[in-house]
Amino acid sequence: MPDPMITIDRLTQVFDGFTALDALSMTIEAGEVFGFLGHNGAGKTTTLQMLTTLARPSSGSATIAGHDICTDALAVRRSIGYVPENVRLYDTMTAAENLLFFARLSGVDKPKARVAEVLELLDCAALASARVAGFSKGMRQRIGLAQAILHQPKVLFLDEPSSGLDPMGIKMLRDVITRLNRDFGMTIFMNTHLISEIAKTCTSIAVLSHGKLVYHDRIEAVTARYGDEAALEALYLSLTPQGRLAQVA
Amino acid sequence: MSDFSPNWLIASQSARFVLRERTVALLAVLFVVLVLISAWLGWQATSTVNQIYLQAAAFLAAAGQPVPSNPVLEISPLALMRNMSVYVALIGALAAIVIGNRLVSIDRKAGVLPLIGIRPLHRSAYADGKIAALLGLVLGLIAVAALMAVTTLLLLPALRLTGAQWLQLAGFMAISALYMACFGLIGLAAAAWAKSETVGLLLPVTLWLTASFILPQLTANLNPTAAINPISALAAAPDTGFFHLSGALLGPLSVADAYKFASANLLDYLPQGLSSPSVISPVASLILLTLAAGGLAWRALTRMAMTQGEFDV
Repeated sequence: MPDPMITIDRLTQVFDGFTALDALSMTIEAGEVFGFLGHNGAGKTTTLQMLTTLARPSSGSATIAGHDICTDALAVRRSIGYVPENVRLYDTMTAAENLLFFARLSGVDKPKARVAEVLELLDCAALASARVAGFSKGMRQRIGLAQAILHQPKVLFLDEPSSGLDPMGIKMLRDVITRLNRDFGMTIFMNTHLISEIAKTCTSIAVLSHGKLVYHDRIEAVTARYGDEAALEALYLSLTPQGRLAQVA
Repeated sequence: MSDFSPNWLIASQSARFVLRERTVALLAVLFVVLVLISAWLGWQATSTVNQIYLQAAAFLAAAGQPVPSNPVLEISPLALMRNMSVYVALIGALAAIVIGNRLVSIDRKAGVLPLIGIRPLHRSAYADGKIAALLGLVLGLIAVAALMAVTTLLLLPALRLTGAQWLQLAGFMAISALYMACFGLIGLAAAAWAKSETVGLLLPVTLWLTASFILPQLTANLNPTAAINPISALAAAPDTGFFHLSGALLGPLSVADAYKFASANLLDYLPQGLSSPSVISPVASLILLTLAAGGLAWRALTRMAMTQGEFDV
């Protein structure tokens, strides 16, 4: 049985009386590619913000690579990489300058060499000396991934990584996620809407609806039970209120 | 490990960005040009008086008349720098506010806060870096002003500063740096705290207007136009119960008044018998208010939401 990489225990977030995440508990094993599904406002990004130590939970706890997100935030940050939904960088700087800054902030040894290595790894060395201001969404996403893996994290968090990408961009992203997981053993935690990506990339999934966990299983179990991608989509829709409305309509 | 401490990285990166900003560059150049004009006006006035005196002295000596003493030598040479205190109080403070605001808003507008927030560094490292960048930039501006003041005083004919006067000039530069840092720190705090960029800039400007023009009216019955004149800004408050009370209560908070009195004292142009209405000394007031602004900035920066990419509209 692999060790758990992420353990979440009754994690809750309340904003001004509104419960954005309600006592979420689950475990994600090391080396998994985990797909976190849910409708808009379900609480996926809120969960991710707490797990990445960007926000403190109202109650509950979680550990990443054995480190508590509240009491050992620095150790958690050393273990994680994060790619936000819309990758924003210093537009007036080149891709390499941006990456060098983040590499140094992460305390990376020999940061210049590491930046070159990561750019090479993600097949975007040609972007190194270009200013970020002129980058397309896909280019930004690559540099976003590059900044997230500079310090060789154990867990990579991706928030809606394929949002706004064209099919080529989505394929590139899928390939990169697969390589990072397969070649470097990174555990991937991915918030997404795209059922097709879940089916092609993930080893386990969970569905969140109105802040509550409504489904969590390994992908083999899901596909064994629901068969193909269409059945998986039907499962997802049946678990979310919008989906139920759409099915009724 | 990387050779750079996170605080230093954030400070140097932020300072570099801010120096590239046109608004900041414009205000900094304006400040330096005004300081230069102030120094040039002082130099021009003194050398003209000195030249007339030398001609008159030569004429009187030739005519066998007694030669009076040189009027240039009767006033402290430091008083020639008094206009600088106005430029620091007006343009210097505004430049510091803009610098403080930009130091935070560059990150907020770029949307990189989440990417900084997940790095293995304490929130205090980010706050320390931003405060260090602000202090570095303010000290840089003051260093340029000091260089101009020293050059002017060294070039002025007939004037020689004593060791004590050089120390007074250094003290004036130090309180000018404190005054600018105070507003810069308020700019930092507001930019970190405010949800919108406009509020982040308007709030410290409103505080600066209040400190520069409204508090002096309450403590010394000074009209706004008088408040920007280094001499009339030092008028005695009316001898009434209201001004005694407001001077005692608001004086310690009136950072502009504290700066005016402290600089007039250090530059030797404080009218005899006049003193600050505040219950604590102007320099102590400046130090305490700057420390309070520093605490405010640190608190706002360490509590700033790193989840938000940018300002709300």
